[in-house]
Amino acid sequence: MTNPLSVQSTRFRKFVVVAAAALSAVGVVTLSKGAGATSHPTLVVYSAQGYDKATVAAFNATHPGFTVTLNDNSTGPLLQQIQAEGNHPTWGVLWVDGATAFAQLDHEGLLAKHIVPKVSFNAVGKANIPTDGSYVPTGLTATGALVYDSSQIKKAQLPKSWAQLTSSKFKGMLGMNDPTQSGPTYPMIAGIMNYLGHYKGHGSTAASVAAGKSYLSKLKANGLVINSTNGPTIAAIQAHTIAMAIIQSSAGYGTELSQSPSLRVAYLKPVTALPGVIGIDAKMPAAVRNEAQKFVNYVLSSAGQHAMKTGDPQGDSLFWPVLNGIKAANKILPPLSSVPMQTVNPAVWGALETPINNWFTANINNG
Amino acid sequence: MSMVLAPPPLEGSPASSDFEHDVAIVRGRRWRINPGSLILWTLLTLLIIAPVMCFLILAVSPHVFQQGPEWFTLKYVREAFGGATRAGIVNSLWVSAVVATTAVALATMIAWLVIRTNVFGRRVWTVLTWLLLLVPTWMMTLGWGDLLQPFGVASALGVNTHYIFGEFFGPMGIVVVLTTAALPFAFFIVSAALQLMGPELEDAARVHGANRWLTLKTVLPVIAPALLGAFTVSFAETMSDFGVAFTLGYHSHFPLATFTLFSAISNFPANFSVAAVIAVVLILSTVPPILLQSRVMRKRSFAVLSGRTRVARRREFRTVARVAASAGLATIYLVALGVPVFGAVAGSFVRDLGIYSTGPIKLTLAYYRQVLHPDIVGQGLGAPLLLSNQMGLIVATLTGVVALVLARRLVVNAGGWSQRVTDIFLMGSIAVPGVVLGVGYIFFYNQPFITNHFINLYKTLPLLILALVASSLPGQTRFMAGPVSQIQPSLVEAARVHGASRLRAWRTTNLPLVSRVLLWGWLVTFTKVIAELAVAQILYPPSQEPVSVTIQAYLANNLLGDGTAMTVVTLAEMLAVIGVALLTYRLLAPKGWRRIGWSGIQS
Repeated sequence: MTNPLSVQSTRFRKFVVVAAAALSAVGVVTLSKGAGATSHPTLVVYSAQGYDKATVAAFNATHPGFTVTLNDNSTGPLLQQIQAEGNHPTWGVLWVDGATAFAQLDHEGLLAKHIVPKVSFNAVGKANIPTDGSYVPTGLTATGALVYDSSQIKKAQLPKSWAQLTSSKFKGMLGMNDPTQSGPTYPMIAGIMNYLGHYKGHGSTAASVAAGKSYLSKLKANGLVINSTNGPTIAAIQAHTIAMAIIQSSAGYGTELSQSPSLRVAYLKPVTALPGVIGIDAKMPAAVRNEAQKFVNYVLSSAGQHAMKTGDPQGDSLFWPVLNGIKAANKILPPLSSVPMQTVNPAVWGALETPINNWFTANINNG
Repeated sequence: MSMVLAPPPLEGSPASSDFEHDVAIVRGRRWRINPGSLILWTLLTLLIIAPVMCFLILAVSPHVFQQGPEWFTLKYVREAFGGATRAGIVNSLWVSAVVATTAVALATMIAWLVIRTNVFGRRVWTVLTWLLLLVPTWMMTLGWGDLLQPFGVASALGVNTHYIFGEFFGPMGIVVVLTTAALPFAFFIVSAALQLMGPELEDAARVHGANRWLTLKTVLPVIAPALLGAFTVSFAETMSDFGVAFTLGYHSHFPLATFTLFSAISNFPANFSVAAVIAVVLILSTVPPILLQSRVMRKRSFAVLSGRTRVARRREFRTVARVAASAGLATIYLVALGVPVFGAVAGSFVRDLGIYSTGPIKLTLAYYRQVLHPDIVGQGLGAPLLLSNQMGLIVATLTGVVALVLARRLVVNAGGWSQRVTDIFLMGSIAVPGVVLGVGYIFFYNQPFITNHFINLYKTLPLLILALVASSLPGQTRFMAGPVSQIQPSLVEAARVHGASRLRAWRTTNLPLVSRVLLWGWLVTFTKVIAELAVAQILYPPSQEPVSVTIQAYLANNLLGDGTAMTVVTLAEMLAVIGVALLTYRLLAPKGWRRIGWSGIQS
């Protein structure tokens, strides 16, 4: 008769062997996957753009000398990583929408200067290049675009100005994003303040900020609906909870193409330019900065612009080019000249982001 | 390093057992450093203490990591206790207390019904509780949202959800979802205690004339450690939850501490100092329940499992009571699990989910086609899901080993200051939000003196794995502490007396009793790793995106149907892995292991 204890011991041994073999195999495979990353590539691109994978892949295919590694993430986590890395950064290139973060990085001396490639920028492109050349616009969208559902409100019924949005006629019909969650939203708020206060780009912003706060408070009193980001805001339009929202233009066009043909995009005068912006880390060694410059040059080349236009056809690829001779990816975008666009000074308004966002949270979102 | 030294074990205390203990003799006695404790605390320092402290120190000293000019300031403490931030802290404290109390009460009732009565479908309820544990809160709220939102699944079925949608996306919904999330933690801790407790105490009480109420009063204190442990874990887990805070809490303008912490670092430049103050509050809030539990446990021994423990008898309900009890359980699980899972699964088949429509509902497989064959190369589910599974296997194994050692140490040093320190440390760690741990890992492991002189792990998969182990370890340790505490040291002592080595003694006496705890703890950690978002989003290496990050990207871009389909596929895959693991255990583990000791389910 078989000894039960030896049967138990044998089964236990089999169990241990099977488990150990399986885990060892998985461990080797997984950690070997990390070996590539462990070797610490020279150039890492931190990007929140929807077309970044396609662009980096196209660059790597045509530049066999070195490989660019992409750290694709939302803007918030990318900036948290950059700030936490401090003076021991890993990023070589940052590529996100909006110039306010770049103005802050430039202020801290973290951006390499004079990186602008010698290409032909159009007027709006030139307007978004800083004097020290520490970052470069790669494409343009508008923040504060009036995305509306044509099945709920006709074009003729739309407000014609920012002031008209506070009319009781539009009570409860308007939505927007939370600037603490949605990257493009704070530049829109800055643009509203810039416009209402007739700010000239220098001097005190106190009057402009006060005018903007008063305006947002009126919108709140008129039933403004706040959602975190483009996704939930557009979902609110689709569910007929609201009829229109002031958000990023590419989000509106993308949803019109992919999900909701009744969605349209209109523009109040003015909307705020939201450039896709790229910058190079000044703390990287010279060799890495050279590689980064090659990448920036590629992005601003016709091949790079093509990769951007095709990499996210129903999302971030719906931008206006900042270069002469490059056309928009989709005819759904109207001519740039027809869009009443203003540019705000990111160095001035970037410094005010935290206190304005805190005010917004306390008075508009939770008020 | 006073933590590695211990005073002599008190006479009759559980500390006089098989582990090598420090021999501390006051006034002429010798003190020895325990190498096991030294290694353990070094590991905990590298995994949890150092990274978290790197973050928390910013509360008063932002200049340490170049986050401000001040070497010492209290201004961020003042800032954190003002406005929405203070409201978030207050809301989190009372919501966590309500949730923990409700979860423990509910869990105790369910555990008693499942383990000690003849209620129908005992195994089913336990399986459902495991499913409840596996589903992360952000998936639960996704399911509820898909079901209740305007033109969601319920609307598609002709149910007007306007009123309940408004009510659910508020404090009521927050408490409901968080209670269902805490329920399984409480259930398994309490059920482990009930299952390992033989009928001797109840029999003794009944023999001496106690009625049912008095019997209950006699038995309940015996499982007091489990009840208090369940409360503490539920409280800490609720305090640290971010999924509900970010969805239900945000949209109902009911701020919770984890969301205000997240908001503090969402601006640029991020306000890590205010976030650190909030994190300190979250951690310190777990201290009172721990001290209470420690005080209770100090007074007596709760070891009831011995070599002579018999299997508990079941109370035999009559038919009506049996049906009523079973129906009650069915209702609880329907609300807790059935409704949100149905919402998520159904939502993945409803065309134009959430979009206004006056026509009939239309079903579609388009979302699953997108998941399996994405339009854009590299945006599918396959590679992220495979990576998450691989990480889950490694993290669950590492966590299980360390958690068992830690759980044993908690029990061995019960009542001592060492145990209290470990307990507070573990519980505080449960309350640490994932984003704090993630950013803390950047602060610590990206330091030049570490990357240049020791090891450069930043932006690598091993670092993410370490962070996931750190995230899972405290919860799993507490999960194991209850069952481990009920194993009498005399079992190992008996084996040692008969000549077994330390390892063989443990393997032949303790391992059979804890094998199912280990298995289920492993499975829980495995699934939690796959669903973990906050740590993963901060630390995942370039081009190696875990599945939780992929799903979140779809949901954030209003690709609700695709994101829901991905969620359903991920859940199904996790369940398949669990099934394989359980089958392997059933086939290979000795039969005796499945008859004794604690489990979630009778294997």
